[in-house]
Amino acid sequence: MKKQITVKRLKLYSWLVIVITLAISGWFTWELAGNARMETDLDEYMPKDHPAFVYSDMAEDWFNIKDGILIAIENPEGIYNVGTLDKIKDITKALQDMEAIEDADVTSLYTADNIVGSEYGLDVKAFYKRTPKSEEKLKELRELVIANDMVQGRIVSDDETVALVVASIADSVFSMQFYEDILAFADSYEGPENIYVAGVPIVEGTMAYLGPKDMKKMVPIVIVVIILVLYLVLRSIRHTISTLAVVLISTIWAFGLMAVLGISIYAVTIMIPVMLIAIGVADGIHLYSHLHLFLDEQPNATVKEALGDMIRNMWKPVVMTSVTTAVGFISLLTSEVLPIKYFGLFTAFGVLMAMILSLVFIPAFGFAFGISRKKKKQQSKTEMHSFTERLANNFALATIRHKVLVISTTVILLVVSIFGIQKVYINSSFLENFERDSDIVLTDAFVNKHFGGTSSINVILESEDKDAMIRPEVEKLIDEMQTEVETLALVGNSFSISDYIRRMNQVMHADDPAFDVIPDSQEMIAQYLLLYEMSGDPENLWKVVDYDYRKANVTVQLKSDNSKDLNQTIEILEKYRAPFSELNVEMNFAGSGYKALVFTGLILNGQIKSLLMSIVIIIILLALMFRKVSIGFIGAIPVVLTAAISFGVMGLLNISLSTTTALVSSIAIGIGIDYAVHFIERYKIYALQTKDKSLTIGETMHHSGRAIAFNAFVVIMGFLVLLFSVFPPNRSLGALVSFNMFISFIATVTIMYLVLYKSNVFFNKKKTKEK
Amino acid sequence: MKTIQFLTVTVLVILFSFNQGYAQMSGQEIMEAVYNNPSGENIQGQLEMRLINKQGDTRVRELQQYIKDEGAVEKTIMFFLSPADVRNTSFMNWSYDDGRYDDQWIYLPALKRVKRISSDSKSDNFMGSDFTYDDLGDRHPNQDTHKLLGEEVVDGYACVVVESTPKDEAYMYSKTVTWVNKENFIGIKRDFYDEDGDLLKTLHISKFEKISGYWVILKTQMHNVQKDHRTEMIFTDVKLDQEIPENKFTERGMTLGR
Repeated sequence: MKKQITVKRLKLYSWLVIVITLAISGWFTWELAGNARMETDLDEYMPKDHPAFVYSDMAEDWFNIKDGILIAIENPEGIYNVGTLDKIKDITKALQDMEAIEDADVTSLYTADNIVGSEYGLDVKAFYKRTPKSEEKLKELRELVIANDMVQGRIVSDDETVALVVASIADSVFSMQFYEDILAFADSYEGPENIYVAGVPIVEGTMAYLGPKDMKKMVPIVIVVIILVLYLVLRSIRHTISTLAVVLISTIWAFGLMAVLGISIYAVTIMIPVMLIAIGVADGIHLYSHLHLFLDEQPNATVKEALGDMIRNMWKPVVMTSVTTAVGFISLLTSEVLPIKYFGLFTAFGVLMAMILSLVFIPAFGFAFGISRKKKKQQSKTEMHSFTERLANNFALATIRHKVLVISTTVILLVVSIFGIQKVYINSSFLENFERDSDIVLTDAFVNKHFGGTSSINVILESEDKDAMIRPEVEKLIDEMQTEVETLALVGNSFSISDYIRRMNQVMHADDPAFDVIPDSQEMIAQYLLLYEMSGDPENLWKVVDYDYRKANVTVQLKSDNSKDLNQTIEILEKYRAPFSELNVEMNFAGSGYKALVFTGLILNGQIKSLLMSIVIIIILLALMFRKVSIGFIGAIPVVLTAAISFGVMGLLNISLSTTTALVSSIAIGIGIDYAVHFIERYKIYALQTKDKSLTIGETMHHSGRAIAFNAFVVIMGFLVLLFSVFPPNRSLGALVSFNMFISFIATVTIMYLVLYKSNVFFNKKKTKEK
Repeated sequence: MKTIQFLTVTVLVILFSFNQGYAQMSGQEIMEAVYNNPSGENIQGQLEMRLINKQGDTRVRELQQYIKDEGAVEKTIMFFLSPADVRNTSFMNWSYDDGRYDDQWIYLPALKRVKRISSDSKSDNFMGSDFTYDDLGDRHPNQDTHKLLGEEVVDGYACVVVESTPKDEAYMYSKTVTWVNKENFIGIKRDFYDEDGDLLKTLHISKFEKISGYWVILKTQMHNVQKDHRTEMIFTDVKLDQEIPENKFTERGMTLGR
């Protein structure tokens, strides 16, 4: 009688838990819908007080350095005809009319200054104001362009079929709406000319657009696959639903809390559900796996007995795994990058919520809706049970028998990985995130083929001395540096104050190419610049030199935004640091490409730092939890191996490290720890229970090993779906997560298990006593 | 009721005082008076030009300038005194009454040669400053239509406010508004509006004196509000109506220095 009342009570409590959980989720969902704010400005991701960014931002302000949207107008017949020239003019003026774009920030053949020499002097004027109509005038314009290498090859292609209109925009201007407007704008000028849109803002925009869009499409499929595989493994709709509910609810809570606290959603935030899905299903699988085994042995147990046994036996490993995982993620707080800090913090929060839900919501769900039992084919199920038991036992024994093979394989893998890790390189390239045959890559290649390059690095020269930048020795060194850096195949062009000086020196000497050099006297340079200011609009000059000639900006244009290429270019530029320093000129770098390079380095360093830190923390925590130092080290084996092998494989397969791929290594911690703790805890229980080593390994492998295999199988299947994504970074994400799961699983049930077995941890006392 | 009465009285007083002072002059007449303000035929003096960008960086140039009005053509020659590396650089401008483009020459001592420079139009900036050549020259009042806007006090001077709209729609300004000192018909302040009708620049004259019987502007500032760039021009040591030799305004004169 009494018992029944308690069951009724339990049912009531269970419903209460479910209702409260759903209510909280509902509230968070509502907050999320109302307050979620997506952050697309990449500058917001960077640590504001890092010296490299502080300097770059300052330099961007001094010289009005902004990323350019490149609109290429192609006419295979050549651009020197009324229609195409009109189009260049129309696009230029329409861009200038846009609210977000300043007049002076649009560069094209229509706005360019033409510095020309004539028999009587110097002229700085527009190439054309009214579009030339007659053949004669068109020919004249063409000759003017050919004669001016500040324009030819820079905004008009050498083969005269493509012209560029460049619109520089401030980072803050960029939005999804602006991106769509620009594409629609360019599209409206299509025909008969072909219009292409390229440039850093477009690539960033497409990425910010495509990544989440693709994820929105793929994540539901991932979840569906996980549901199917979970069902396959758990053989129960109710268990599948509740396991998945834990994951989804914890994700909603993590995001909901972000919304409540007013924290924007960053691109890396997308990794939070990825982590929670990969890590969160573990709790449910282990709980239900235990339940199954219990019911196999005691098919007639009541719901209360079954769930009670489940929680009694499993709460400890669930808490231990979750706490260690959370602490591992919290170590990301040491990162200098704000979004990464949030990522660590809220993933940790999600993991802890998943823990609480697993221990409260799952049993409540069981009381409310009942648990699935194997009713039919009792006989075959038991057969199945004994089959898996045999399999687990055989595997456990085989591993010990082939210990040499296991250990040597591990050592070889580790050595190869360490070799591979050294080859790992960072790549902050945005462009390489896209398919080789995607529009954006093809457009970029097209523009790069015809012009100096779609990416750039700015070299900022600075001196204490007034007029330092117009000293001939400084000018000559700038010129020399440009000449050398331009020998690199991927450097298309470079541009600086010395280009102006050389151009004017030649023009003032009757266009004699022999004078296309830096003059020897500072007076001459000063007077040329004065002349330029008096003849034209000096606005363009302030993009390359500052007001009192203390600072200069050298723009190096590259045909690639690959970090290797950027580094190679910087290496050459760095050679000039010492010679400049002798002239009392300091050298620094600036611009978005450089910032991206530094930024990726920061993320990576932070990631490696926190990875190492969390491994230490994990060792300490495990040692404390199991009250054995040796367990700390044994438990860290899957984590270390997963991290090492995944980095090693990336190095060997030439997969570059980016923000996303670096963060995936966090998964090694979460999952490696889960597997290790569940396995060790089970091993400990059986060891103390049976006091028999061979029985212990068989049981542990059957209980824990089975659950780990299920877990790995479910998540791997789910994430393999991402291989069908259209967005390459999401594909590598899927592959890496699956790969990490697989390595963690294998490492746990082979090498870690072997070390555990050989170390005699939980048998030591007995054995010494017996002996 | 009281408020309305008060307002009516105020409006009446304003209208009355306005009528009293300038009832007889239209906008056109005021601008003609400004244009015809006698300026002297020969002017010489030192000019300090300060260019200030939005960051507050300042560049200073000192020049010695000579201006000779020969009726159909106004000739100006300037010699740079500083900065040191452009010292003795000279610039000569001949501005014609008939609307022809100005003729301009520059002498670069480092090159030891006089070069012609040509500007596409009067909308070019003068020496990288915020003044266009047109801002510096006198624009004939017949080129605009003028409208009297009212009266205001600027820097303690009673001024009339005149809005001038160019007859030529392609002109670089869509309109200008000038505050004219009622006493001496010097424009004390002028707002320039760009093609879109937005305020582009503000000219402000902060110092003027009567020298040798002429009103002479001694300190003026042009502020480009859109770029937040300023140019200050300060004239010192100004002498008027002192004969300047004709050969000063020749290519050879340019090479000789001041």
